[in-house]
Amino acid sequence: MKTDRILGATAIAVAAIMLVFGYGLQAPFAYEPVGPRAFPLIAAGMIALCGVILVLKPGEPSSGPAGPTGALAALSGCLMGYALLFQPLGFVIATTIFMIPIAMIFGARWWQGAVTGVVLAVSSYLLFDRVLEVVLPVGPFGGIV
Amino acid sequence: MDTFNHLMHGFGVALAPTNLLLAALGAVVGTMVGVLPGLGPINAVAMLVPVVFALGLPPEGSLILMAAIYIGSEYGGRISAILLNVPGEASAVMTALEGYPLARQGKAGIALSLSAWTSFVGSAIATLGIVLAAPVLAKWALAFGPVEYVALMVFAFACLTGLLTDQPVKAMLAIGLGLAISTIGIDANSGVYRYTFGSPNLVDGVQFATVVIGLFAISELLIMLDTMRGGAAVRIEQLGRSLFNGAEMRFTNMATLRGSLIGFFVGILPGAGGTVASALAYTTEKRVVERSDPEGSRFGRGEVRGLASVEAANNSASNSNFIPMLTLGIPSSGTTAIMLGVLTLYNLTPGPALFRSQPDLVWGLIASLFIGNFILLAINIPLVGVFARMLSVPAWVLVPFIVVVSAIGVYSGKSTTFDLVLMVALGVGGYLLRRTGVPMAPLILGFVLGKILEQSLRRALSLSAGDVAILWSSPISITLWIMAAAVLLLPLLLPRFTRWRHNTAVKAE
Repeated sequence: MKTDRILGATAIAVAAIMLVFGYGLQAPFAYEPVGPRAFPLIAAGMIALCGVILVLKPGEPSSGPAGPTGALAALSGCLMGYALLFQPLGFVIATTIFMIPIAMIFGARWWQGAVTGVVLAVSSYLLFDRVLEVVLPVGPFGGIV
Repeated sequence: MDTFNHLMHGFGVALAPTNLLLAALGAVVGTMVGVLPGLGPINAVAMLVPVVFALGLPPEGSLILMAAIYIGSEYGGRISAILLNVPGEASAVMTALEGYPLARQGKAGIALSLSAWTSFVGSAIATLGIVLAAPVLAKWALAFGPVEYVALMVFAFACLTGLLTDQPVKAMLAIGLGLAISTIGIDANSGVYRYTFGSPNLVDGVQFATVVIGLFAISELLIMLDTMRGGAAVRIEQLGRSLFNGAEMRFTNMATLRGSLIGFFVGILPGAGGTVASALAYTTEKRVVERSDPEGSRFGRGEVRGLASVEAANNSASNSNFIPMLTLGIPSSGTTAIMLGVLTLYNLTPGPALFRSQPDLVWGLIASLFIGNFILLAINIPLVGVFARMLSVPAWVLVPFIVVVSAIGVYSGKSTTFDLVLMVALGVGGYLLRRTGVPMAPLILGFVLGKILEQSLRRALSLSAGDVAILWSSPISITLWIMAAAVLLLPLLLPRFTRWRHNTAVKAE
């Protein structure tokens, strides 16, 4: 009931943002009857319509209980940290550092996490960077690590 | 005859050593990933898209590999459903319903081998159906212009909202969000920047891999935290007799056949995939058995006929899903939507013309589905114990593995921190949406089809100089509009259907 209302309100907000930033979209030289503006506004209209329905007629909550908030926040935080430091720290270091807490959130002891992190970091670096030629960031220590 | 020659040519492509190796590799990897609890076919395919792309294969090779991973993970999904009572995705829910009780009665080996066999039969029948139906449909679809495409896509979206969930509004919201994401970036027709907010990272749109990996793989990790609290499921260790016997096979033959046919036809419908097929096959089989053999019905307590029918339907649908994707360029499930996205990464335009312009690709893929299924049957019956051991991989190894592969996949595209951050943001957003009951598959379909829909719409209206009446000007488009309206209105007119849909959705929880 309540979550559906929040979802609906968020949908309306998204649609509003799309309208504000989409309304001014005009092609400098229009050579076709439908410009770049119409389609985003149709999508916004669709989202807004669904949002209004959800606010007015929220359904019953359907999903099971959520996981522990602390763990969810910790995992999201670790993932975001990994994303932000992936390039600056380099692949091997960032992976080793961030996989330890992530493994621990899922029940590992710290040394199990450390082993997972190091093995994953080194093996996937060798596999992807060296064998598959996906260039991964090396970080401040250059080619040494 | 023409079809036969094309198919033989396709076998020539699929049997080339590299492609054969790719099909076998995909089958093994797909089964392994499918077994992992919580990783369904769509997550497997989403996560492996960039890895496959990084291999630098020609388009047919990478499509063959992806297809093998996809059907392999369907085979693998049944293992965790039967042994662990943890369905990897909604279409395996019915499998767990009958398979897990069987496993608890010490018949896990029979349930596994029998479901591998019926999966194979379902897939084989569907692949045969592709060979017969796809060229005809593709020839017919060549007559489709932008007008018909607009109507067809609206029909596909209507199917998604009308058939998939018991909350159509949320499916529609998901489609809308997908369409919205597809508009980000430079507009190809006018050169106008849309929703880039001044960021150079968004000029050519949101990367395909970032969206699918974020929404599926990353959000799945957060979902895993939710389900972990429910306590670990009891895993069945004793497999019992490992192969079904002739009597069991004869007993389930009709159920398998019914399931295969239901799966095939449901799979062709745009928007309806394995989930609808397996639910429909299950309820049909239950009705048939309760009418013809009320004494022997063991539904809910481990009915082999139910299991046979569901697995046949599920795999049949996941193969016949390729029909709308290959002939019309309209995927009918989240997974084929991702494969379609892969085609566009190779600058190939999916659609009927593909049969003429890329016969190697299309027929090679179809032939490799045959071969892939044989490989899967061959590895799944003797090696089921080996795959079952994948179930004991602890979450703390699995999750970091998924994170690393996902991050590498996203990074390999444009090598920016921006994409990684976006991936995580989409993952958290996707998690919140899934928590509130918004399905992800329609979102991906909206995202993949958004650009094509917009282009078709604009081209159609250019033809008519802006008159919207052109959208319902041809017999085909009128038919499609009526069908779309019917699918949307059906639930309102048929309360029984709504009840059925609600029941299957509740079971899918």
